[in-house]
Amino acid sequence: MEYNKVCLMYRAKDSTVDGIRSGLGLAVENMYAYGVVLDDVTMDKLDENQIESIEMLRDMEGEIYSTNPANCELNGLEPITIEELGEKLRDMTHIIPYGIK
Amino acid sequence: MKILNVYRSEPDDTTKKLVEIVTRDRESDSFDLYTDSPDYDALVDKIFEADQVISWW
Amino acid sequence: MAKSLGIFVTNPEQFKHVMGITKAAKAKGSKVKVFFTWDGTLNAKKEAGFKDLCELADDVSICADSYVKQGYDVKDIPEGLDEKKMATQAQHGIIIEDYDCYLSL
Repeated sequence: MEYNKVCLMYRAKDSTVDGIRSGLGLAVENMYAYGVVLDDVTMDKLDENQIESIEMLRDMEGEIYSTNPANCELNGLEPITIEELGEKLRDMTHIIPYGIK
Repeated sequence: MKILNVYRSEPDDTTKKLVEIVTRDRESDSFDLYTDSPDYDALVDKIFEADQVISWW
Repeated sequence: MAKSLGIFVTNPEQFKHVMGITKAAKAKGSKVKVFFTWDGTLNAKKEAGFKDLCELADDVSICADSYVKQGYDVKDIPEGLDEKKMATQAQHGIIIEDYDCYLSL
């Protein structure tokens, strides 16, 4: 069986945390789910519940990346460049530019 | 693999860069949704023809 | 037979397109499911055409958790929906798994 691979990308601070939750929702449905916080977003420090969501996602072989180093440092996200993201998207069954810009 | 890029707003540099990489060596089409009166009928035809639809911000 | 279409709405400014695309797809005989999440759920209360969308599409649901986070009471069910359509992210999974075509707006 081929599993779906889904990547959600976030460009608005307001929708980033909920977008990560959407990714987790897909992971529990047996999909590979990834989220990417793009440069436009400078995140606040995630709370315990939000960090737990990301850890759950990682337990299901998902990941949350960011092209913004400040987000990686503050919230322990995986760094990714825009070029690396583009290459990763080529491998996805579903690509979801999430929310507003 | 045929990709349909739907643009909800005029694509900026980030979107353009990602589209360029994702569509490299692949068949692709596009549809501008940010016009005054999008032709939804034509868009649905394109969606049905595509293997993957990406609706960019 | 026309392909089925699932629409995942994450942007509250796209309702006009949700309606336009649903109408066009239904006219072609397509089965259409729409799921609203995050501030997309505002459409359920603020768009006059939301009830019409519920009648037009085969299945419309919203993320109840998002709706509550937007400040609404989960018991304040938008016109056109019922309790079962105040749903979870599993609806998004259904769109991806069970529908021929996928569109996010």
